[in-house]
Amino acid sequence: MPKLILDNGGYSIKAGFSTAEKPRLIPNCISKARSERRRPFIGDQIDDCRDTSGLFFILPFQKGYMVNADTQKTIWDYCFGKDVLDVTPTETDIVITEPHFNFKTLQEAVCELLFEEYEFRSLCRTSSSTSADYYYSITEGIQKKTSCTLVVDCGYSFTHIVPYVNGVKVTESVRRIDVGGKALTNHLKEIISYRQLHVLDETYLINQVKEDVCYVSTDFSQDVEVSKKKLSENNTIVREYVLPDYSSIRRGYIRKLEETGKRAKDNEQILRLNNERFTVPELLFHPSDVGIPQMGISEAIVTVIESFPEPIKHHFYDNIVLIGGTSCFPGFKERILHDVRRDASIYADTNVFLPTNPTFYAWEGAKKFSQDAEFSKYTVSRNTYNEKGLNAFAKICDI
Amino acid sequence: MAQREHRITSSARILDAAARYRRQKKALEALEQDNFHDEPHADLVMSKKVPKFQESNEKGPTKKKKQRSSEYFKLKFRKAINTLIEEEQLENVEGPNYSTAGAPPSKLPPRSFCTVCGFPSSYNCIPCGGKYCSLKCLKTHQDTRCLKWTA
Repeated sequence: MPKLILDNGGYSIKAGFSTAEKPRLIPNCISKARSERRRPFIGDQIDDCRDTSGLFFILPFQKGYMVNADTQKTIWDYCFGKDVLDVTPTETDIVITEPHFNFKTLQEAVCELLFEEYEFRSLCRTSSSTSADYYYSITEGIQKKTSCTLVVDCGYSFTHIVPYVNGVKVTESVRRIDVGGKALTNHLKEIISYRQLHVLDETYLINQVKEDVCYVSTDFSQDVEVSKKKLSENNTIVREYVLPDYSSIRRGYIRKLEETGKRAKDNEQILRLNNERFTVPELLFHPSDVGIPQMGISEAIVTVIESFPEPIKHHFYDNIVLIGGTSCFPGFKERILHDVRRDASIYADTNVFLPTNPTFYAWEGAKKFSQDAEFSKYTVSRNTYNEKGLNAFAKICDI
Repeated sequence: MAQREHRITSSARILDAAARYRRQKKALEALEQDNFHDEPHADLVMSKKVPKFQESNEKGPTKKKKQRSSEYFKLKFRKAINTLIEEEQLENVEGPNYSTAGAPPSKLPPRSFCTVCGFPSSYNCIPCGGKYCSLKCLKTHQDTRCLKWTA
């Protein structure tokens, strides 16, 4: 019997049966468009929407936690329904991911929804980084004969740095940085609105802009110098982005390099992005640049590792795993490798692993986990839940 | 000299630390915000009987369980995130919990960037504390942002 794997993220749901090769990626939101007055779009129904300007979002997640269970239910109804996965809950075991330090009331909400509303047969609760650690340990880790992994989960709402020893999460050492893809998109939106064009309403569009043009700088001061130059003086950073008009141009794109700096065609509206391209993702490494009183990813990675005793440190430096959608920025891995190598207090082999698809890595890990011989130990059946409630998960779940 | 100082203080209102902190906090809250405009469907009067296409086929006798309304989940579980954090702090003082897991402040010195052009800057605006890098950017800053969007 296939199991349903549900990586329930703040930005997107990665859902699919354990028999599937890849999960289906569904935005975890309900969007309302100006052009379609009749109908709210649930999840990936937004792909049917022709004019995505000024979308209004209703999200089940706030700061990375599922605070709006009713919105989540609407989206899950769609995901489990005939059009998408066609799940028969009473005959299905489900694996779901939850954020670290999930609040007790919200844990209850998830269980109540899945067991009492949908009546799933059994439930396994894990977290995306735990699945990633499992996947890493049975693939890369086994070759290296290591038992320590440091998972960096850089998602939409926040970034978690989670150390694992022998597959067990070291809860006291988990650190969270309150910067994720959402803060970056909002920051980019704010800058563009101030410097060029009012786009505060266009979250969907600016998110695309961010994905298309932003990158993590591996040499910040050098990039600042280059971006200060004029275009004619060989500024290799500036890019021009053609905005969609939702009639002839459906999706925005980067203008060809040879056209950059020339006059826009009559039907084109253009954003010019210069230092924005790398100062925006820079927030991940220096949250203090906008006044968030926290250390950046690289510094936090080193601080977490340095809190362990000497012999273990080496293993952590050797096994840093990056997952989550925000780690897709070009240069992200190189920057972390560079910074961590520079700041490590000991001479250690440093190795940063970025999966081919960081967004799906946790889902794939959870899928592999569901095929593990020990898997059934980590599940709770509906009957047991009805008897014991949330306590049934006490020993087997590391949330 | 004395006269000049007098002129500066009288012409420009200088924000105190509390006001600057409020502004900063507002800017950080904006980074968390989902929507910056009103709901486009807010003024629509929806008839409750708009057919849902999924339901029509399966309205058979199989529905044995009464579905809980979305109101139920709203009442039971909808909580502001800040309430949850506060509740947890009271319950679980020792940690590890959400609050203890937050990364500590950086040990590195803060960097400063011009609020107008985004390049490294070395000056602070006297009235509001905003950063700027050149006279040109200061002018833009004074015309647009400085003391213009205080709550």
